[in-house]
Amino acid sequence: MSNKAKILVVDDDHDLVEVLKAVLEGESYDVVVAYNGKEAVAKAKKENPDLILLDIIMPEKDGFLTAEELKKDPAFAKTPILALTSFSGGDMGQPFPFEVEEYIMKSTSPKDILKKVAAHLERKGI
Amino acid sequence: MNNNFVEGKEAEFTPEEAALILRLKVFVRWRWGAIFGIIIATIIASLVSHIGFPTLPVYILCVFVAFYNLLLWHLTLRLKEVSTGLLLAKGRAIGIIHIYLDLIAFTVLMHLTGGIENPFIFLFVLHVITAGILLHYRTAYTVTTVAFLMITAMVMLEYAGVIPHVNLEGFILPYRYRQASRVLAILAALAVVLYGSTYLASAISGELKKRQRQVLKLQKQLLEEKTSELDMRTHEVDKLEEQKKHFLSFLGMAAHDLKAPLAAIQGFLWLILNGYTGQINAKQKDMLERSNRRIDGLGGLISDLLDIPRIEAGQLVHEMKEISLAEIVQRCVDDLGNIAKGKGLDLNVELPENLPAIYGSDIRIQQVLTNLVNNALNYTMWGSVTIRVSDFDTEQQVEVIDTGIGIPPEELPRLFSDFFRGSNVAVKGTGLGLSISKRIIKAHGGRIWAESPYADSGKGSKFTFTLPKRSTY
Repeated sequence: MSNKAKILVVDDDHDLVEVLKAVLEGESYDVVVAYNGKEAVAKAKKENPDLILLDIIMPEKDGFLTAEELKKDPAFAKTPILALTSFSGGDMGQPFPFEVEEYIMKSTSPKDILKKVAAHLERKGI
Repeated sequence: MNNNFVEGKEAEFTPEEAALILRLKVFVRWRWGAIFGIIIATIIASLVSHIGFPTLPVYILCVFVAFYNLLLWHLTLRLKEVSTGLLLAKGRAIGIIHIYLDLIAFTVLMHLTGGIENPFIFLFVLHVITAGILLHYRTAYTVTTVAFLMITAMVMLEYAGVIPHVNLEGFILPYRYRQASRVLAILAALAVVLYGSTYLASAISGELKKRQRQVLKLQKQLLEEKTSELDMRTHEVDKLEEQKKHFLSFLGMAAHDLKAPLAAIQGFLWLILNGYTGQINAKQKDMLERSNRRIDGLGGLISDLLDIPRIEAGQLVHEMKEISLAEIVQRCVDDLGNIAKGKGLDLNVELPENLPAIYGSDIRIQQVLTNLVNNALNYTMWGSVTIRVSDFDTEQQVEVIDTGIGIPPEELPRLFSDFFRGSNVAVKGTGLGLSISKRIIKAHGGRIWAESPYADSGKGSKFTFTLPKRSTY
């Protein structure tokens, strides 16, 4: 377990965080969680995760702002951020306003989420 | 240069002001003509007709008239620099000066050229007409009265011998000016002509001025009405835009809040189905899988329902850019190839080489094509599904052809309606796929239609949509 990557899961939906935590821990990832943007930044600084799964729509500080802040920090500039969204492509009406590594629909099956997580970690060399 | 400036400013005058200035200028020009006419008439009278009277005083009078004419010309030009509110009053004052100076000059001229003997005495009528056109009717009558009194005074004074009388020798008998009845008759005729002309001139010109003011008032009123109407409409449009923005952001939140619980439920279902919570039996597994499928369907329905108002609110324009139908077809084959393979169907693609890009929403056209191919695969048991793209002059066309069960003819017209589901199909979708596809294609300015049966077998169906090239927008 020690050489497995550490993943930060951020979502204000506690149930979904629990599901994602269980799924990822099932693959022996080290999982830390946060329930809002502010907490996510603090947890990221403290835990230094290898990858971040980040919800977009959250009260107070949303995923866009959180990702922007993290990407500005040199410590996380290269940390892959996978944005979780319940929007289907057209819902936003236009391209998402900032660049994260990938957008993942919340309705995507956990199996596919695991595949994407693994692919991004592999690209990063972990 | 100066002239241009003056003309430029003239445009700002009301029609009444512009007319007044124009008339004052015209009077000055006429006066030059009048001076010329007097000199010519005098020369003809004395040299050609041999009418005897002293001509020198007449020429001196002409010099005097020329002098004040120059002065009046100057005053008229200066008038344009007067502030608009005062222009009419000042212009009329200058007009009165014109008229009285002319009255004096003409009375003196008459006196120098035979007084009552001179038939040109009736030219006084020109002065009173001028006054009638230019001035308020009361002022015009005053001018007429003054003119008549001056003539009468001159005639009376000559009659009484107070001032000398000039006889037009060889033209009129020298005692004519003392024939009281004749003099009175001429004066009476003159009075009638003068007052009559004043009445006619001021009546016509008063009516004209009234009309001018009415037209101006109407213009102003109309402009005000239109302006306020425009303001109102602009305000309404702003309000509608605001409401639309609110509505769309509401839809965004609704989409999120409706889908978030589904994601959590499906997550838990997945964990249970995949043994994270311990073993489940076959019956439990079956029910959980069915629950999962129903939630998939519900998620699709929510997306579809929220799509419709978004498309109808014209939001697609924001998504449009240069897109490639070849890429869209490729993605569709990547996504749905496995389903075709699983059913043992051939998924064929016919793409022209070097297909040019076209303008549209990548995501939405992908949505339409995926929907059509998905339907085709669902309703085809054996055979093939073909995606054919054609490039025409003004549009590109995509056909999705299947060898499936086809569509009953009576259902063809309702195919693209909301919540329509085919009667001959077991697979139930939301019934919104085709109606949304139609909205998307219409928002692109294209057409979409279905034909069935299509294949030679008399079965199957063909769905076609077109996208116009941008130059035809």
